[in-house]
Amino acid sequence: MGFKPKGLTEMGLSRRDMLAGSTAFVAASNLIVPAEAQSRAETLRQVTGNAVNTLDPTMPGSTREAFGISVNPYDRLVSFGRKQMGGNWVFDPDTIYGELAERVVTSADGMTFTFHLRRDAKFHDGSPVTAEDVKWSFDRHLTARSLASAQIQTGSWTKPEQFRIIDTHTVEAKVDKPDRLALPNLCTLYCIIINSKVAKQHATAQDPWAQEWLKTNQAGSGAYIVETFRPGEQVILRRNDAWNRGEGGKQAAFRRVICQTIPEAATRASLIEKGDADLSIDLQASDVPTLATRPRMKVVSTPQFNAFTMIAFNTQTAPFNNKKLRQAVAAALPYTDIFKAALFERGAALFGGSWADAPTSSIFPQPLPFKQDLDKAKRLLAEAGFPNGLDTPFAFNVGAAAIAEPMAALLKESLAKINIRVEIQKLPDAQISTMVTEKKLPFFTETSIAWLPSTDYFFRNFFTGNQRWNYSSWENAEILELTAKARFELDKTAYDTLCKRMISILADEVPVIMMWQPNQDAVMTSNLEGYTYQYHRQVDYRDLRRA
Amino acid sequence: MAMAATIAKRAGRRFLSSLPALFGVVVFTFLLMRVLPGDPAIFFASGPNAGQAEIDEIRRQMGLDKPIPEQLIYYLRDITTGNLGRSMTTGQTVVKDLVTRLPASLELTFVALMLALSTALPLGIMAALRPNSAVDHVVRFLCTLGVCVPTFVSGLLFIYGFYYLLGLAPDPTGRIDIFASQPPTVTGFMLVDSLIARDSEAFVAVASQLVLPACTMALFVLAPLARMTRASMLAVLTSDFVRTGEALGLSRLRVILVYALRNALLPVITIMGIVFSTMLGANVLVEKVFSWPGVASYALDALLASDYAPVQGFVLLMATIFVMVNLTVDVLYGIADPRVTIE
Amino acid sequence: MSTATLRHVGFILRGNPVTLVAGCGALFLVLVAIFGPSLVPFDPTTSNVPRALQPPSATHWFGTDQLGRDVFSRVVVATRLDLLIAASAVSLSFVLGAVIGAFSGYSGGTLDRWVGRFVDVLMAFPLFVLAMAMVAALGNRVENIIYATAIINLPFYIRFARAEVNVRRSAGWVEAARASGNSHARVVLLYLLPNVLPAMAVQISLNLGWAILNAAGLSFLGLGVRPPTPEWGILVAEGARFITTGKWWLVMFPGMALMFAVLCFNLLGDGLRDILDPRMRT
Repeated sequence: MGFKPKGLTEMGLSRRDMLAGSTAFVAASNLIVPAEAQSRAETLRQVTGNAVNTLDPTMPGSTREAFGISVNPYDRLVSFGRKQMGGNWVFDPDTIYGELAERVVTSADGMTFTFHLRRDAKFHDGSPVTAEDVKWSFDRHLTARSLASAQIQTGSWTKPEQFRIIDTHTVEAKVDKPDRLALPNLCTLYCIIINSKVAKQHATAQDPWAQEWLKTNQAGSGAYIVETFRPGEQVILRRNDAWNRGEGGKQAAFRRVICQTIPEAATRASLIEKGDADLSIDLQASDVPTLATRPRMKVVSTPQFNAFTMIAFNTQTAPFNNKKLRQAVAAALPYTDIFKAALFERGAALFGGSWADAPTSSIFPQPLPFKQDLDKAKRLLAEAGFPNGLDTPFAFNVGAAAIAEPMAALLKESLAKINIRVEIQKLPDAQISTMVTEKKLPFFTETSIAWLPSTDYFFRNFFTGNQRWNYSSWENAEILELTAKARFELDKTAYDTLCKRMISILADEVPVIMMWQPNQDAVMTSNLEGYTYQYHRQVDYRDLRRA
Repeated sequence: MAMAATIAKRAGRRFLSSLPALFGVVVFTFLLMRVLPGDPAIFFASGPNAGQAEIDEIRRQMGLDKPIPEQLIYYLRDITTGNLGRSMTTGQTVVKDLVTRLPASLELTFVALMLALSTALPLGIMAALRPNSAVDHVVRFLCTLGVCVPTFVSGLLFIYGFYYLLGLAPDPTGRIDIFASQPPTVTGFMLVDSLIARDSEAFVAVASQLVLPACTMALFVLAPLARMTRASMLAVLTSDFVRTGEALGLSRLRVILVYALRNALLPVITIMGIVFSTMLGANVLVEKVFSWPGVASYALDALLASDYAPVQGFVLLMATIFVMVNLTVDVLYGIADPRVTIE
Repeated sequence: MSTATLRHVGFILRGNPVTLVAGCGALFLVLVAIFGPSLVPFDPTTSNVPRALQPPSATHWFGTDQLGRDVFSRVVVATRLDLLIAASAVSLSFVLGAVIGAFSGYSGGTLDRWVGRFVDVLMAFPLFVLAMAMVAALGNRVENIIYATAIINLPFYIRFARAEVNVRRSAGWVEAARASGNSHARVVLLYLLPNVLPAMAVQISLNLGWAILNAAGLSFLGLGVRPPTPEWGILVAEGARFITTGKWWLVMFPGMALMFAVLCFNLLGDGLRDILDPRMRT
């Protein structure tokens, strides 16, 4: 990540500047159309396979869909901008603009951030957004038992005292050490600014942060107001007409947004094709190419550049604590066949890299130099001390079966050729989560994501420590040292050198086999514009409008 | 009034005698849920940076930090106060979820059962009037064919055919067209609610939404109902009073529809109770396919997430309904045929 | 079987061609289950990615799936597993149910009351959800699917056996058997059970069909047998995903196989009931 604190010294960016360059935009209200048609045209209907289970994204157990919804009724202090990548809009972690903050001033040492709040910003109940609300919200994020604290401590935010009220419209925030991820962390969707007056009214002695109430109610200042919330069924949002932080200082484009849970992917596809729904981001990869050719439909495919699908080994227990064995498996997989049959090539491959010892780029994930070579695999297997092969289970979760099942079948078939006999385990999601966390799975596949895609953050989260996300339970002294150093390394060249070293260690040690970054295939009616791939992999309705 | 008292007494006794079964269901479900290998706390702490602290917090929230016997005692105590716990999947209390979702399941099952009965009775009678004729075989074959298709396949094919290809059915996404205005909730049964609100548009919207899932379910129970009608009709048709009726010169139609059918329906009513509760419990697949916001799909999602409380609540609810339905059938039967007593 | 019975069966079958056809169908399925795996043109688990998702052709009669595997071979090979699951589940519940029910009905008293309670508990369960929970709890292995299917069939057999034994327990020939020095266990196993089994056996065929559907439902929810083992329910559930994009052969052929099997067993069961229980016939 080319993130430079210095460049941030004076930020007066608004969303409209970020969105400049997109085509002319006609507000739907200017069009004269019959009332009925107007309401449908001004309504966005998204269909998704999973459930929105809370309106408070910091609630433990929030689903990814709940994260996505929360972006709309709440504002944050700052947020990521967007940029063009391969003809599509994607979020841009390197540009940060103010949502509730009009300006952010970063001190020369990169440790103090002063947020000047917008004076015209109002919560849904009409009361102004003040420094008090910001302070209360961050006190909540840092003290209450929620998902927020664990996330933002990756940006050196650990205690409420770091946030200080200067005056009604100014808040100052300080970190102890210049942290590359301090400001980006405040952009994440956990850092919502809550209407503290309303929330306090619903706080109780047992629940000082109104967590119970905020699960099913919202008190934000964002572009949309929640009209109906039926957990597991649908959420209906109404536009907040007072919100003016959209393109050209305008409101959001859609008057109403419906997000509905439809478990069957085939039904979701039919709904969009018939024009009854406008958007779905979780259709099956196998359907997408066909759907793209249908009239009135379009597909915006973006490789999820902050996500990756991998095959992980448990590097702490036998047999996969044996590096040669891991290398043998990595040399035995039919990468291109799996990529084709399981994912229908809808993504960016993370195998078949052309370098040998050292990577040419410091970006991660990037293609690693793995390819199928059965002779090499057999040789490595013998060197590993398994001349007669071995038996191992291979697990994946039911929820990912559409892609993981063909992957597992091909893996089993091809490992059989080097005498590794695989038993495929298809486990319900809750079971696999448990076994992954308890480090009980020797060999499995997972897809994971980093909200703040920088190389050191990836390595810190996925390849060090004892937490769940270190899927392979990998412990490598050098990686540990490199990540600790890189986190606070502000010099780009030095940072890149550290990152490249991490990547070459990973390619040699093979704690995981990186497979691909799946596409986010957003299938939508052809008149929908502005769709942006976000770091949370959900739809930000504020990006969208009808052409 | 003596009869009413007898019936009430009988119903009461019958209900009391079913309490041990309900207790057994509760305990068995509780234990079964604890055997599930997934740790719900870990599943729900699957946020991008969930650590041990959050896992422990969820475990505490769900009461999983206590030993199992203690959890069971707490659970039983909670049940008596009407507290079935909280669903982690929806963030709501299980009672609230079940109360809002049960009418959806009941409405669907009722409509499906009515649909099945209105088809099965004529078919069964037709078959009984000409046993072993071509009609009989065709009826039997068609009904059996209905049972042979797994409900998820027939459901998906219906959607594909009637919604996607033909465009006859509304989009298969829940109880009412999402753009239609929903009648104010009075009973929770949308058909009834729209009638109360005198909103014919909503009624049509709700009814058309019901057609496909109800047909899918009805197909599945057509065979046993038709078969039962046929058998009991056959038995009745050969009985003395029917022959007497015919001998007295009553028209055949009258004999069949008035005298024979009334008697033949008794056994059908008996199995109807079982069929109804079975359908309600077997809704899982239909609700899943049609995104129906009912209790069965709710339980399914919870089960896959190892979210104990909703599954336990659902099973308890189903068991209670099963008991109540049987009780009702029993009482109805007692009224229809005073000779029937409980052992 | 006496010649009279055979003649009776022959008579019924002539008057009931549907049963005859269903019987032949069931026999055909059994033959496919036995010999199918050695006759199929392709290995059902060998992939051939370049030939993935091809419509039916002269080489691949039922087309190929996502991994280029031959759907025909998979459907044929699946027969054995599906019949095995159904048959084991049904026989398990049949044997257990008959024995438990017979002893319970014969002895009466405390045992009978406890068995009655147990059956009540099972009956009050939403059975499909019970099966789901069991497979989820025990793991999706073939044997667990069999146990889950067996247990939800169990209450029916227990009740049936119990009722049938109960009416016979004080019959003269039972008294006679007891009087001539047989133990209670012998009386139940050697005298009473053989007497009630034929009536119960009729249910087997009906339940076979139901067991197949049950396994298919579990597969649809991801609780079926382990991949890449071919099984009709999984093939149908996987194929159903491709309906919207017009790859009909993936759901159609396994679906037809599944329907055919269930239809045969159901019609056969109906017919057998007619043979053994003339009351139901006319």
